[in-house]
Amino acid sequence: MHRVSRAKRWGRGTTVLLVAVIVYLAALLLLPLGAMVAQVVRTGFGSLFRELLAPDAVRALELSIILAVIAAIVNGIFGIAAGIVFVRHRFLGRRVLDALSDMPLSVSPVMVGLAFLLIFGRGGWFEPVLQILHFKVTFAFPGLVIATLFVTLPFTLREVSYVLLELGEEEEEAAAILGASPWQIFWRVTLPNIKNALAYGVTLTVARALGEFGAVLILGGAISGKTQTGTTFINVAMEERREAAAYGMALVLAVASVLLLLVLEALKKVEIKEAD
Amino acid sequence: MKRTFGAAIAAGPMGLGARVGVVLYLLFLVLIPLAAIVERGFAGGVGGIWHAVVSPMAAHALVLTLWTAALMAVVNAVMGTATAWILVRHPFPGSRFLATLVDLPFAIPTLVAGIMLVTLFGPQTALGGWLTVHGVPIVFATPGIILALLFITMPLVVRAVEPVLIELDPAEEEAAATLGAKPWTTFFRVVLPPILPAVASGTIQCFARAVAEFGSVVVVSGNIPGKTLTAPVYIFGEVEGDRPVVAAAVSVVLLLVAVGLLLATRVLQQQFVRRERA
Amino acid sequence: MALIDGAYVAHAQGGKGGQRTLTLGAYTTPREAYGSGVIPAFQKFWKENHAQEVRFEESYLGSGAQSRAIVGGFEADVAALSLEPDITRIAEAGLIKRPWKTGPYRGMVSRSIVVIGVRPGNPKGIKDWDDLCRPGIQVLTPNVRTSGGAMWNVAAVFGAALRGGTSAAKGDTAAAVALLGKVLAHVTVMDKGARESMLTFERGIGDAIITYENEVMEAKLAGRAYDYVIPRSTILIENPIAVVDVYAEKHGGLDVADAFVQFVTTPEAQREFAAHGYRPVDEKVAAEFTQKFPAVPDLFTTRDLGDWGQIVKLIFNEGGIYDRALNSSQGKK
Repeated sequence: MHRVSRAKRWGRGTTVLLVAVIVYLAALLLLPLGAMVAQVVRTGFGSLFRELLAPDAVRALELSIILAVIAAIVNGIFGIAAGIVFVRHRFLGRRVLDALSDMPLSVSPVMVGLAFLLIFGRGGWFEPVLQILHFKVTFAFPGLVIATLFVTLPFTLREVSYVLLELGEEEEEAAAILGASPWQIFWRVTLPNIKNALAYGVTLTVARALGEFGAVLILGGAISGKTQTGTTFINVAMEERREAAAYGMALVLAVASVLLLLVLEALKKVEIKEAD
Repeated sequence: MKRTFGAAIAAGPMGLGARVGVVLYLLFLVLIPLAAIVERGFAGGVGGIWHAVVSPMAAHALVLTLWTAALMAVVNAVMGTATAWILVRHPFPGSRFLATLVDLPFAIPTLVAGIMLVTLFGPQTALGGWLTVHGVPIVFATPGIILALLFITMPLVVRAVEPVLIELDPAEEEAAATLGAKPWTTFFRVVLPPILPAVASGTIQCFARAVAEFGSVVVVSGNIPGKTLTAPVYIFGEVEGDRPVVAAAVSVVLLLVAVGLLLATRVLQQQFVRRERA
Repeated sequence: MALIDGAYVAHAQGGKGGQRTLTLGAYTTPREAYGSGVIPAFQKFWKENHAQEVRFEESYLGSGAQSRAIVGGFEADVAALSLEPDITRIAEAGLIKRPWKTGPYRGMVSRSIVVIGVRPGNPKGIKDWDDLCRPGIQVLTPNVRTSGGAMWNVAAVFGAALRGGTSAAKGDTAAAVALLGKVLAHVTVMDKGARESMLTFERGIGDAIITYENEVMEAKLAGRAYDYVIPRSTILIENPIAVVDVYAEKHGGLDVADAFVQFVTTPEAQREFAAHGYRPVDEKVAAEFTQKFPAVPDLFTTRDLGDWGQIVKLIFNEGGIYDRALNSSQGKK
């Protein structure tokens, strides 16, 4: 594995390219971040904290975190199970299902909201079932969970699938030959191998869940104290001209994202170290 | 050998139960909801979809969405490849930091990204005001949409190309350089061919992501019907205005685009795997 | 975890325990009036009289959107919307079973008028409806599909034209439609709600915004710079409120909901509304605020245009006056 060519050729073309790339990244990524930090400073940390400690802000953040945790767990388990099922099993329709699980990446969040609204709302396919069960999905917590699960579905699956594909079945075959039971194979061989990929996928899942906006807005309705997540809170705060609250929550989510980013980078480094 | 192992796996805890669970999960969480959109979209038949799609606002929104996504995909293909190239082949002090930064749009909520852009380029700001006066409004205009899309999808090409570049042995490039090839020739003749599938795959992902984008665009674009209203925001408006059939009809179009792109990616992956094996 | 408990259990508890929950579905503009004014006042009132805490869940959307959301499954106990047809829609869906237009105020909770908001100092010199049709003037008004304010705006312009308050000849329907079309031709952005429209205006878009008087006052309260113009002829806005019987009963909160709807027309609540720019329905309280709310030379109501049923049929239904005006506006610019 060679990352850097031994003879570094810093021709003029390369330098120009280098500068172009740096300027591009800085302008596109750093400037907006900087502008927001500047705005935050201008609004004043004091008022920011005060707004963030208000009960509706706290509840919104709680809700976002709960949704992210649920998504991480449920789609983490799904990612492992589906990763194994799609990569190690052979059955009819496997590829179709695999493709299906990639769909959430290309489906617009508003369509997610519409789809579940159609199913669980008035006149929906599942409405009679919900009536009987006295269960509410739309404009309620379960709706938010379902929306979040949809949009975060592929992340863990993709990471785990990739690793399982790369590693091949040799280790597991060897263990099988040595007489290990399928459960032992999974626990002792497969799981440790996908540990990193799992962590990476879960981190992406949490980041995506915290950032979900469109689907959660449509399906939940941003009802304060009930279906108001961090992102919809920002939206509502902006509409109420409560800039300190909006920027405060945006800052919290941005900081959380950056922390998750650092976790991702750390995991990447571990991956590289283990590969060498 | 594989048969036996497969049978062994299928018998265990990750066996039939897991398969059934996975299938049911996907069925209820993905397939049925998407089917609901298709069903409602076709409530007026194919004619209904046509009618909804050719209405001036919807038609403009779809065209706007597709061309801004396409333009942005091309820019990303170029800049993303360039970025990956620089980060992998020519690291410099601080490039690690930049590499981390590239993943930022992946982590940040799209709504926050939109707010950041408005904070930077809004007409009330110094920069934004200057640009608006000089006839290049960013926020609440089409350039804003493209900028937002660039931000959101920037990591996709880089992440697709980077691992492939890492795997590529620089020996070939050095050989070409020794033989007197200029850097650009080396790039186009030696480096590009093997990474092309990755670039294509990354670009397609970019495009798909951009077409679906809502959170940042709804903040930045101003949502002016017939000018800066994109398809997802149009669908949102129709959902809120309680016109689910129209919303579903336009959604069907976006769904077709998404499925088409998915198939294209799959085909590319096959090609890529074939090349790897060769 | 308290959050999930709250969502499921509190509604089922109804009369037991020390905490009640009331879900309010309102339109966009009164969020401050309710959020920081009327609701805390009611919570205090209920606590004093019943020794219980009332927790509020609030949702603020464009009036039309909110009305459809309630019909579509959003279980609001009380609906406080911008115009009567949006409550009628809920009633016709079978969710309001008791007559809601009873009482001294016929189910209305607040009033306002349609005004034209402009930049400080009125640099473009906008004085009345006709000025919105001058070349180069950019106007903001929301989307009638989702926003109640948008419907009031259209009714105001059309009604004023019909009554001779504009350049259009009095009683000339075709001329009134033409005027409405001209105004619509100057609209640059149609947001989904009145509040969103104001925010767009504040971001530097548009020279004039057709909006509620109370919205302009609320914006000024928030420190935004506005001036506004009261046209010679404009419409009196009346905002309804009603208990959504089916949901309130389901949640076991009918008593709280009824009390809330009663409370909003008490002088105390009416003063809260006035503080946020709403003209009180209570005439006595209104008399305290004549300085704040100037008289309008020709103030007409929906009853002068028929009634809301007729107005919706004539103006807002598919192919009606609004559609015709909008279509004619697409041609010009």
